[in-house]
Amino acid sequence: MGSEVTAMFVVIVVILVALIFDFTNGFHDSANAMAGPIATGALKPRTAVIIAAVLNLVGACLSTEVAKTISGGFFDDELITASIILAGLVGAIIWNLLTWLLGLPSSSSHALFGGLIGAVVVGAGFASVHGWVIVSKVLLPAVVAPAVAGIAAALATVLAYRITRKTPSRQSETGFKYGQAFTASLVSLAHGTSDGQKTMGVITLVLISANLQAPGTGPQPWVIIAAGVAIGLGTYSGGWRIMRTMGKGVVEIETPQGAASGAATTATILASAHLGFGLSTTHVATGGILGSGVGRRGAEVRWGVARKMVFAWILTLPGAGLVGGLAALLANFGIVGVVALLLLLAAASSVIWAFSRRHPVSHHNVSDSREVLVLASASQTEYVDDPRVTTTPKTKQKTKKPKAKSAA
Amino acid sequence: MKIDWAALGIVAVVSISASVLFVILLASSIRLVSAAKVRTNQGGSGTAILSAGYALLALAALLVLFCIYLIVPQFH
Repeated sequence: MGSEVTAMFVVIVVILVALIFDFTNGFHDSANAMAGPIATGALKPRTAVIIAAVLNLVGACLSTEVAKTISGGFFDDELITASIILAGLVGAIIWNLLTWLLGLPSSSSHALFGGLIGAVVVGAGFASVHGWVIVSKVLLPAVVAPAVAGIAAALATVLAYRITRKTPSRQSETGFKYGQAFTASLVSLAHGTSDGQKTMGVITLVLISANLQAPGTGPQPWVIIAAGVAIGLGTYSGGWRIMRTMGKGVVEIETPQGAASGAATTATILASAHLGFGLSTTHVATGGILGSGVGRRGAEVRWGVARKMVFAWILTLPGAGLVGGLAALLANFGIVGVVALLLLLAAASSVIWAFSRRHPVSHHNVSDSREVLVLASASQTEYVDDPRVTTTPKTKQKTKKPKAKSAA
Repeated sequence: MKIDWAALGIVAVVSISASVLFVILLASSIRLVSAAKVRTNQGGSGTAILSAGYALLALAALLVLFCIYLIVPQFH
């Protein structure tokens, strides 16, 4: 009897943590769609995140293609326990928060996969992970997707400028402004269809592993709605740090570029979601933005920032995997371990949030600068439990009424 | 387990052609609408060009609707 209560408790905890992950997913990826229009002024920051939030919710309810893939392909379902999933989610959330602190648009999908894989390896051994599925459905698309979106965006940008070469720039500016706002909204919708489903997949996995749902069935209606709302709320809260990097950091975007990269991003996400790839919206959106920078003559692409992003991408899977693996060690100690893990998650989230307050980025100042500062420089990648930190006052940072949210 | 190159190829081809097509339609529409305005300002009649511009815009919208249709399983 006691063990049943424990199991139920763990299942409930996992569902809640999964929804928290979905929230971090939302604010981490808000920028993918809305950084461009906010940077060019096509949409006001507040309007942009409201549109994005609503469309994420709608998108999450539209398609359940990926949700089936996650729970059915990566692991042997019967080896997975609720506590392993919990550990994986904790790894993903912490990784998401760390990269958000640094303003790096790393992939929430990879964080989730990494965390889950790390936890599964610790909990059930290497044999339970289907390596080939990961290669073909995660790693390979992760390389191909940004390349495809980049090429598409570059071509589209070149064409957009060529076709409107003789059009008075003020009129084409206005026209593309609408185009950009529109394609950005589509990216949000596509994001909802793609990322909203990941959490649904995870919750479904938990329900199946706890014998509360038949194996091989899709997500239940309440799961779809809860996941959609969580990702919508996360999106609404903005993720302004990443917004700044995406909108200002990599390349200065003009409205035709924004329209082109938005179209490329949407098309790539939709095409791959349609075929059931667990594709990272972040990789695609970044590829699209970079491509639009390459496509416009005279646009300055800051490859240094791009390189930093690529490092973050490469580190995401193993990094989240490491945290997930460590969390799995703890989660294996039954209910005490689970509670301890939750406390640690709350503590880590609070510390990261506290650090973000030193140089806050909000909808007020998101477009004022192109750098996201953590300490004096953005090189702090460790667990932020270092007490020796000194605040270096940095100019140019406005600190009026900052708004940043922690997930815990 | 084999890598599904065909699926990846489809994703690449569809994504690139869809976004290029969309931008061609959008940019041409902007160009025509703007040209129509210029002509009207000069005292001429820009109606034909204007309607052509909006027709292209409608095509772009159709393309988007088709994409949304594709990903919603309830429609199939």
